[in-house]
Amino acid sequence: MRRTLFVLLLLAPGLGLVLAFVSLVLYVAVSQSFGLYNLGGDSVFSLAHWQAMLGERRYWRALQYSAYIAVTASLLAVALAYPVALLLRKPFRGSLTLSALIKAPLLVPGLVAAFLFVNVISYHGIVNQLMLSLGLWDAPVRLQNDKNGYGVILLQVWKQLPFAFLLLSAAVQALPDAVLLAARDLGAGPLDRFRKVVLPLTAGAMQAALVLIFIGAAGDFSFQAVAGPPSVDSLATLMTSVQSTQGDWNGAAVVAVTLMALSLFGSAALAILVRGATRLARG
Amino acid sequence: METKGTFVAYLAATDIGMRFDTFEALKGVSFTAERGEFITLLGPSGCGKTTLLNIVAGFLKPTRGALTLDGADLLPIPPERRDSAMCFQSYALFPHLSVRDNIAFGPRQKGLTATEVAKRVNDLLAQMALDAHAGKLPNALSGGQQQRVALARALAVGPGLVLFDEPLSNLDAKLRDQVRTEIRALQRRVGFTALYVTHDQAEALALSDRILLLNNGVIEQEGAPRDIYFKPRTRFVADFIGAANLHAGIAEAGALATPFGPLTGAGVATGAVTICWRPEMARLGPAGVNSLAGIVSSSAFQGAYTDVFVDAAGQTVRLQLPGAAHFAPGEALSFHVPPSAITTVADTAS
Repeated sequence: MRRTLFVLLLLAPGLGLVLAFVSLVLYVAVSQSFGLYNLGGDSVFSLAHWQAMLGERRYWRALQYSAYIAVTASLLAVALAYPVALLLRKPFRGSLTLSALIKAPLLVPGLVAAFLFVNVISYHGIVNQLMLSLGLWDAPVRLQNDKNGYGVILLQVWKQLPFAFLLLSAAVQALPDAVLLAARDLGAGPLDRFRKVVLPLTAGAMQAALVLIFIGAAGDFSFQAVAGPPSVDSLATLMTSVQSTQGDWNGAAVVAVTLMALSLFGSAALAILVRGATRLARG
Repeated sequence: METKGTFVAYLAATDIGMRFDTFEALKGVSFTAERGEFITLLGPSGCGKTTLLNIVAGFLKPTRGALTLDGADLLPIPPERRDSAMCFQSYALFPHLSVRDNIAFGPRQKGLTATEVAKRVNDLLAQMALDAHAGKLPNALSGGQQQRVALARALAVGPGLVLFDEPLSNLDAKLRDQVRTEIRALQRRVGFTALYVTHDQAEALALSDRILLLNNGVIEQEGAPRDIYFKPRTRFVADFIGAANLHAGIAEAGALATPFGPLTGAGVATGAVTICWRPEMARLGPAGVNSLAGIVSSSAFQGAYTDVFVDAAGQTVRLQLPGAAHFAPGEALSFHVPPSAITTVADTAS
């Protein structure tokens, strides 16, 4: 009994604080989405806010768009981080510099990166000037705020790649040399070694990277606000818009709960799917 | 393989050299192995034996020299396409695969059909007494079982040459003896050629048809275990293989002038020499020739024999005497060494 109390006391400052805040946020958001804790009127339990939001096309488009950005960015970031992590598994001349460069985006705030990016791809920006001077394009092309969200995906991948790299490189470096040599010795070429040995043995780190990046990208506000397509909202921009332009706290809470559900179930589904794909690849 | 009267060894290494920056790990090593032969690369840490094994496996490319297997140049062939398989010191089993899938890994890579793979894996599981563990992951097995899986996995690809990188070093003494016997029996039964790396001289003596004793990147002596043990050519070989009494002496007309007085040896050279004899060759009591006497400085009972250190004529001499007799420090002891047990060795390899 004393031991249990002691353990709980040790856990309280860290885990307790996190649990308290998560529970509080969840409780308030879910309650508000059902009309409780209403900041703009009577607090009465109601399904009307959900019914209203589920009936709006822009809500579904935002959900679809956020899921698309999160899935694409997390898969791309992990796919790009793997080869780099494998390349840097053993030190070589220049490997420290390369490793530092990969982690550089961690030092640049996302909003700053987004502004720099739009400047670079703007109508009169560096990319357009370069293409014109090379004679590859006849006239400037509108690249900014593209309708497919490619700019946002690029920014997400750029920003999230270091996280994927850090997680994957730790897992890849922990692979025993002898195990990889054994696979080679038994007839496995580079691709087979990757899919049959490296991938299954680093699947845990890959899943963690996917989950973290998915959650970060699904809840993106700044990249979407600066570089995203104007015709569609992400869930985060929609939530702000519903609250700030319409003063609808309950509607915003519906979007917030949707965003949390997407983060939870979307990332779990992605991790499970990729784990299954890894098993299939192993053969 | 015999071509126009010229015998070509199954495995032939010629003048293999390996340099890592400024360190020369191998300095022109040449050796051959016949089909079905058990060759051991023996030597202390850093002598180049594992480097040589990794070159044969294809994990390292030598800076000079030639390597052929069954008459074909081996150096341009990547490890995955060589007719060899390695048993690693750490076993290197795939931790995410069951015992069955570990053994099946190689045959699947070689493109065997599912039926062929299953038959080969089942045969090996039975041979290695691993049937009961087929579905287990490697971390659920003991060290000895893991070693057997590693060996089965290597044999599953049906290699002509099996490479062993200190495979017993992680096992306890009793298990080491058991697995050692199993490896030798299996090698004789299956008939593969074995290239075995170890720093354990007892292992090398017990397993090998031939031992290549490496020191500082060169083969210091090559030969059958008995030859290496009883006819060491250099001080290093005598000292590394078993225990040896090594003393300076002068040889003249078949007689040896030593710090202990005149001794008679077998086939001794002339001039300044290092005389060598094994501690277990000493016999208690005086005899007609080579009788020595001294004072016991220490002794240790080892079960099958007693290790006795004797101060004789200002030199420390080691004797390994059979039986359980106790020798107390300070006790006077006389013993003799048969002339056939005394040989001479060079100070360095020429």
